[in-house]
Amino acid sequence: MRKFALSLFTATLATITAWSQESSANFVLVEGGTFKNTKSNYSGAKLTLTSFFIGKSEVTQKEWSDVMSTNPSKFQGDNLPVETVSWYDCIEYCNKRSLKEGLKPYYTIDKEKKDPNNQTVIDDIKWTVTINIGAKGYRLPTEAEWEYAAGGGQMSKSYTYSGSDEITKVAWYWQNSGDDELTGLWNWPAVEQNHNKTKPVRGKEPNELGLYDMSGNVREWCWDWYGNLEKNGAAPQQSSGETGRVWKGGGWIGGDFCCVSSFRGDHEANGNGPDQGLRVCRDQ
Amino acid sequence: MKRITFITSALRRVLPQTLLLAGLMVSSATGLHAISSNQTGTHNGYYYSYWKDGGTVTMNLGTGGNYSVNWSLGNSYNFVGGKGWSTGSSSRTINYNCGVWSPNGNAYLCLYGWTTSPLIEYYVVDSWGSWRPPGGTSAGNVSSNGGTYNLYRAQRVNQPSIQGTKTFYQNWSVRTAKRGIGSNAQITFSNHVNGWNSKGWTMGTHNYQIMATEGFQSSGSSNLTVW
Repeated sequence: MRKFALSLFTATLATITAWSQESSANFVLVEGGTFKNTKSNYSGAKLTLTSFFIGKSEVTQKEWSDVMSTNPSKFQGDNLPVETVSWYDCIEYCNKRSLKEGLKPYYTIDKEKKDPNNQTVIDDIKWTVTINIGAKGYRLPTEAEWEYAAGGGQMSKSYTYSGSDEITKVAWYWQNSGDDELTGLWNWPAVEQNHNKTKPVRGKEPNELGLYDMSGNVREWCWDWYGNLEKNGAAPQQSSGETGRVWKGGGWIGGDFCCVSSFRGDHEANGNGPDQGLRVCRDQ
Repeated sequence: MKRITFITSALRRVLPQTLLLAGLMVSSATGLHAISSNQTGTHNGYYYSYWKDGGTVTMNLGTGGNYSVNWSLGNSYNFVGGKGWSTGSSSRTINYNCGVWSPNGNAYLCLYGWTTSPLIEYYVVDSWGSWRPPGGTSAGNVSSNGGTYNLYRAQRVNQPSIQGTKTFYQNWSVRTAKRGIGSNAQITFSNHVNGWNSKGWTMGTHNYQIMATEGFQSSGSSNLTVW
């Protein structure tokens, strides 16, 4: 028994070490503080974030399928960002990846209890998801964390997009993610006929913190309800939503304005789409 | 496996399209612009839109707000096109005269447009072909321009939009009886907007607004002038 316990301890230690050596290489430690980015929704707000890890890239299809054994993406490719994932799918992914890597899951998921805070009519899932305070497992960034990281954190140069004022340097969006460069006004037939799609991660320049694709490629789920921004910043787990959960960063379908770091998008938690993915983070 | 089927989405024509000039031909004999591929633009001071996902459709842009359409969509394809305004208005009174409305199968003669924030697609249907849209139970009525219209709301789930994949609503106002053709007609749009507002179906910022011919897996012809 003692030998078994020792083996278990060694295995756990090895797993944690594995995160440190392998997984951590794909994460950036974002130093906490107040918002330096003057274009942020949180600029001037009395909000101080603690330091956290965030993925350098959007979660790839390989990273997803290694954990979930499935790949729901419309556009297939190991190094493409996973997409067509709902917010609930992403919450489950975070917990399963945490368990796989020996980390305490960040979320408790009650699939039987309908979340009374979920006012979204179209959402027929409504799992009750709560946070395990102190857990170091993978999680979705809060909206404030996402915007802080996209804006460069303490190294912010107050760019409009994540890492640049020129969208084409940092983002895949409707005009540049297909066969030809599209011009004029957005329209879906043109996007579809141009074979627009997701692109391999890290294909554009990183931002001040070394994070890729925070603008464009796929939209990234955040933890928060779409509701009131200030409330979200103060205590995201306390808010409720009539419209859905927040996504940030824009994607390959949408207009340039969606790729602006301060833009707030929303989608039903059970909704998905070929431009809807995620990036994970975890506490320090 | 969760996937989106975009093909039949009305959002294919959600916002103005770039001009695809290959389909734009000028007939010097008639002075008409004959269109056969997806495009939008301005013609004789009126915004026009043409969208199809297949089939054979010829749209002739006539003088002023006149246009005519001949469509043959087989069993698979849809078309919507018309003339109107690049920026819609909730307070606009739309005048039109429809001289030809000859659908064979499912088609609508309607005021059609979009708003953003919130993203709403709307229809005021004055006539139709073999089927009165959109089905379902009416939420109420409005009286306008000599007729009674039933109000409906439909939801479009996980469809592409300028913000990416989006779930949005369609607001419908459908005349209880087909409107006659061959004489001047008006649509006082504010009556319909007020009807929708009374249900909490609020509109956003207007995008384009056209008096449209819409065909679904049908054939037919139309000819109308809007002003």
